[in-house]
Amino acid sequence: MSFIVLDPTSEKAAPAGKTAPRLDALAGKTVGFISNGKKGTKGFFGHLERMLREEYGVADVVMRTKSNYSAPADPHIVAEIKRWDAVFSGIGD
Amino acid sequence: MQLTSRNYEADSIEAVQELYHSSGWTDGLPIVPPTPESVKACLDWAMMPPDQLIGIEPVRGLAITAEKLAVNAVMAGCLPMHFPVVVTAWTAMMQEPFLAHGATASTGGCAVLVVLNGPIRLELGATGSFNALGNSDRATAVIGRAIRLCLINLMDVRPGVIDRSTLGHPGKFSYCLAEDEEDSDWLPLHAVRGVEREASAVTVMAAGAPRQIMNEWTTKPEEILETFAAEMRANMRHYSIHPGNYAIVIPKQLRDHLRAARWDKKMIAEFIYARARIKRGEWREVGKGAVVKDRADKEYAAMESPDQLLVIAAGGPAGGFGAIIPPWLGNKSHAVTLPMGVCVDCEPPKE
Repeated sequence: MSFIVLDPTSEKAAPAGKTAPRLDALAGKTVGFISNGKKGTKGFFGHLERMLREEYGVADVVMRTKSNYSAPADPHIVAEIKRWDAVFSGIGD
Repeated sequence: MQLTSRNYEADSIEAVQELYHSSGWTDGLPIVPPTPESVKACLDWAMMPPDQLIGIEPVRGLAITAEKLAVNAVMAGCLPMHFPVVVTAWTAMMQEPFLAHGATASTGGCAVLVVLNGPIRLELGATGSFNALGNSDRATAVIGRAIRLCLINLMDVRPGVIDRSTLGHPGKFSYCLAEDEEDSDWLPLHAVRGVEREASAVTVMAAGAPRQIMNEWTTKPEEILETFAAEMRANMRHYSIHPGNYAIVIPKQLRDHLRAARWDKKMIAEFIYARARIKRGEWREVGKGAVVKDRADKEYAAMESPDQLLVIAAGGPAGGFGAIIPPWLGNKSHAVTLPMGVCVDCEPPKE
């Protein structure tokens, strides 16, 4: 007995965001960090900030933390992103 | 009716199983082959076109359509008459307060608890009696499973992909129960939560595993409910201290004592709200002293208000066994109750 059966997946990719152009260098740039608010981000992001400033000459680092670590970033944080040259986003588990 | 899902041909039932398992489309158990006929039957029953939009997953913008829900519902073992419950549950899960992405991706490993109320329970043979939180009946078994298969296939909630659960729990196979409305004069859950009592309704909650309690040695409401509150305090000590939607499942034997003393759901919720509290300093006793800091005397309640407690009448006729069902994590996700057959966020027709 043969069966015709249907694909159970959405079959459509999620609407993808567009990747920002890569930066040639980090020197003199503004870099933002978006933490999910978990404790693990503090030390890690702090270390990255030092590296960016001391080793890569980043001009400014902006640290932001989401109000709910399980939800998308707050609109006011998303609105800020356009003022940054690059952004790091990560979880702290 | 024109379905748009990709077709596959398989020579045998075994070949169907291997196709679905090897593609990562199952929960590990065998599935019912979702043929075009069986999927159309579900859509016909619910009077829905295949492309009807049930919701858009708010984080990644994934469209959830009736056809895809139906494919997964058939795979789970649903009959057409079960399908409208799956649709309503998913409509509820797509509401923002439910926070579907966070609740299904979290390391916390919760599952989607589905509670059925109203006449639909009787139509489907979901009684909320014996084994209410287990394999009590066909309807709740397959509806709960359908929720999980839809998550796997429509939102990539696969272990290690979107689902980052450390442990998960058995409710992630199926976690659905019906309230026993016939045995008591208590307001059913959906009516407590603002839906017309005569309507059928579905409540979804991002829920941890049930924690069973037993108290068969008293008839006093305060003592019975103290056992429930104590289990909630234990959860606050050992798992999460933050307030949110807890559910409690009260079986007939304990309900009878409460009703004899004329306690209704409101009184129960108020009592539990008053008693399910701990001080942050108690975390020192359970190995979590590092995060007590200077807040040892700060008191935390299990709920922000009595309204956050979902009181559910269910369970077999004998035994003083109840359960508390904790929230995934405090108020990150809120339980959502929707009546069946109601359009959510529909715009009025344009003149």
